[in-house]
Amino acid sequence: MDFNLLGLSFVTVFLSELGDKSQLAAIALGGSSKSLRAVFLGTSAALLLASFLGVWLGEGVSQLLPVHWVKTIAAVGFAVMGVRMLWPKAAVEAAIAPSGDD
Amino acid sequence: MINLPPSSSSAQLPPLPTPPVAVLEEAEVQEASSDATPGSPAVPPTGVQGLTLQIEFKIFVSTFITIFLAELGDKTQLTTLLMSAESQAPWIVFLGAGAALVTTSLIGVLVGRWLSNRVSEAVLEKAVGTLLIGISLWLVWDIVQL
Repeated sequence: MDFNLLGLSFVTVFLSELGDKSQLAAIALGGSSKSLRAVFLGTSAALLLASFLGVWLGEGVSQLLPVHWVKTIAAVGFAVMGVRMLWPKAAVEAAIAPSGDD
Repeated sequence: MINLPPSSSSAQLPPLPTPPVAVLEEAEVQEASSDATPGSPAVPPTGVQGLTLQIEFKIFVSTFITIFLAELGDKTQLTTLLMSAESQAPWIVFLGAGAALVTTSLIGVLVGRWLSNRVSEAVLEKAVGTLLIGISLWLVWDIVQL
């Protein structure tokens, strides 16, 4: 077992993922969701599968899947979750105190 | 015609089956007493303990799909792909990358929980909503740059 390569790939990916989108998403979902376990498992599984595809398909990923569209779907998904998080509170506050502004 | 003296064999062997059963029963009793406190009315379960597996599965699936789609073709994927191509040892690269990804998501989830315990629910929802929309814009930026 090549422990140098193992350590190198761990450190490289760890540093490049730190503070990246997916970790921010994990922070956001982990903070707001009721099930920490489900968010952790979902995030880990998604990242493992994505890197698995990266290792085995290599460049083929971008040819096999239209990355533009895939990312667009993800962007819409996050936007919907964000709006849903912000929207109901505002609507409820407006309904309770229509004239109040804070 | 085998006549083993039962008294001598049982005397030599320690009574094996009894201790585990006793421990089990004790544990069950403890669990039952902690689960259903007698006298108190049946409170509808809230929080983590009250989540059904179905709801947890829904959270898992929505998390999985959004993060998976966001991460496809991302720079981590490109890094692992380059490393595995150079090294000719994809399993080791995957092992290292996978361990790193699990670690970063664990840190992320724990940081999120830690932050959520320190702010009010209204502030938390605003912050999470803003963060999610920020991630969405970040993805749009990625798409433009592709």
